[in-house]
Amino acid sequence: MGWVVVIAESSAVGAEAPPTEAKQQPAVLIKGRGTGVAFNLDENASLEEVARELDCQLAGRSTLFSKGGITINTGNRTLSEDEEEEIRRIFREKSGLKIARFVSLAGATAEEEPNEAALPEAESIGILPPTEEPPVRRVRSNPAPLSEFSSADLARALSGLSSQGQRTREQAKVVRGTVRSGETVEHPGDLVILGDVNPGSEILAEGDIIVMGSLKGLPHAGAFGDNKAAVIALEIAAPRLRIGGAEANAPASGGASARNRRQSSPAQQPQIAYIRQGKIHLSPFAGRFARYTKGVPYEG
Amino acid sequence: MKGRTIVITSGKGGVGKTTATANLGTALAMRGHSVVVIDTDIGLRNLDVIMGLENRIVYDLVNVIEGKCRLRQAMIQDKNRLELYLIPAAQTRDKDSITPEQLKGLCAELENDFDFILIDCPAGIEQGFKNAVAAAGEAIIVTTPEVSAIRDADRVIGLLEASGLHRPKLIINRISPDMVKRGDMMGQEDVESLLAVEVIGLVPADERTVAAANRGIPAVHDGRSTAGAAFKRIAARIDGEEVPLQQLDARPGMFNRLRDMVGIKGRAYSHA
Repeated sequence: MGWVVVIAESSAVGAEAPPTEAKQQPAVLIKGRGTGVAFNLDENASLEEVARELDCQLAGRSTLFSKGGITINTGNRTLSEDEEEEIRRIFREKSGLKIARFVSLAGATAEEEPNEAALPEAESIGILPPTEEPPVRRVRSNPAPLSEFSSADLARALSGLSSQGQRTREQAKVVRGTVRSGETVEHPGDLVILGDVNPGSEILAEGDIIVMGSLKGLPHAGAFGDNKAAVIALEIAAPRLRIGGAEANAPASGGASARNRRQSSPAQQPQIAYIRQGKIHLSPFAGRFARYTKGVPYEG
Repeated sequence: MKGRTIVITSGKGGVGKTTATANLGTALAMRGHSVVVIDTDIGLRNLDVIMGLENRIVYDLVNVIEGKCRLRQAMIQDKNRLELYLIPAAQTRDKDSITPEQLKGLCAELENDFDFILIDCPAGIEQGFKNAVAAAGEAIIVTTPEVSAIRDADRVIGLLEASGLHRPKLIINRISPDMVKRGDMMGQEDVESLLAVEVIGLVPADERTVAAANRGIPAVHDGRSTAGAAFKRIAARIDGEEVPLQQLDARPGMFNRLRDMVGIKGRAYSHA
């Protein structure tokens, strides 16, 4: 359930700013991870800059990472003992946190962080997929919805980090009413819709999507790449489903006439869509964490 | 006196917004109210034609807003001398000729003197829609029982809610009870469950409406028009009267009879 967020200081990288420009890179990127928090230091920035940035970043968030292991990722730069000590001091004074380790591309521990470090900066649109799998491929498989999250969303996502740097399941957003055509609902957490999700709408959630109604729009659960996310609805009639990095088109319904459409509308039983063996499956709902073995692949 | 400004909108074109505006305006006037109908479809005006007032246009909405004439000069009284006035759209201008604030100001002025101001909204969700919606305090959505019209209505309801017009009412136009019965057309419940808004009226498909529009006499004047009767009931509901929705499929055979009756009327297009 690990996830990674690159938090960009709003002063350094605005929502509109192209992240490819080196000048726009903040000196410090913070990534929340399943096991803790990683601080990526920009290898091109001077140490004073890095120190100043760390000061600001840590000042407001002293309690946030209190239990997580702290990793400092220095990129291509190798820090001298003195420089390392300086950074340790900043952490000690500003947050009382202990640094677990320093990681650099040049150093011997580089292979521990290959995915993050090797990731081209252009891919750091904001949200990065989990580190268990090669992330570049994943980012490419879903570029559109990912880029729709603004830096404000990211800031919110980060402020919602639990002490372990993990998303907590409490952060659900509840939408009361129908999500209509042309509307987009995004939430960095679980999303609950108390109403229908009509055709032509989009709902994106970092976690699960639960619809207390008929789901006919385009959902993307686990939009940051969480393949364990699920879509639950009283009726799943979406033309296309996305969960994590997987995507599936609805099975062809064989020319639904007005009569068929009408008769199918009172849903028989709630449904759940989830990923099994890399494919999206659909099954009658039997609890969020039940073992689903009889689901049918959702594919057309 | 504080009048009510109601926008009649749909998103999709051709579902009967203008016909509904003309009929509801006329029906409300027949109930004794003072009514102004405003055509905001600048560049593609139609309401004047349907009300049979095309020949009387001297000034239009854009003239009023630009101060080229007084408000009263642009208001054309209904042919039947009802307390019903039309402010026509300009035909040679476009939607950007007026701003939402200007229309809002105009309607606020009219609300002091009239019971109802009905705004005929152009199709689409662009500037013309924004103009029309900004001035209104209430909204009526017109849709037909077709998937495309309902999809657009859904979008428009979302936009209306976003601009503060909550709980819009729905008119389902051109229902063909035979087709609903056969399962070839969505019925009231289907549309209602899809859009989740209150239905204020069901208007049957009625060829007499087309004939009436072509003659420039709204169908509510036609005692034999089923659609005209439906619009009268909707006007009563707008007026706050409790009129139960008439189930159109409750009387089988009636529409076949009607169709036959209309079928022998060969002069439907004589005016056009």
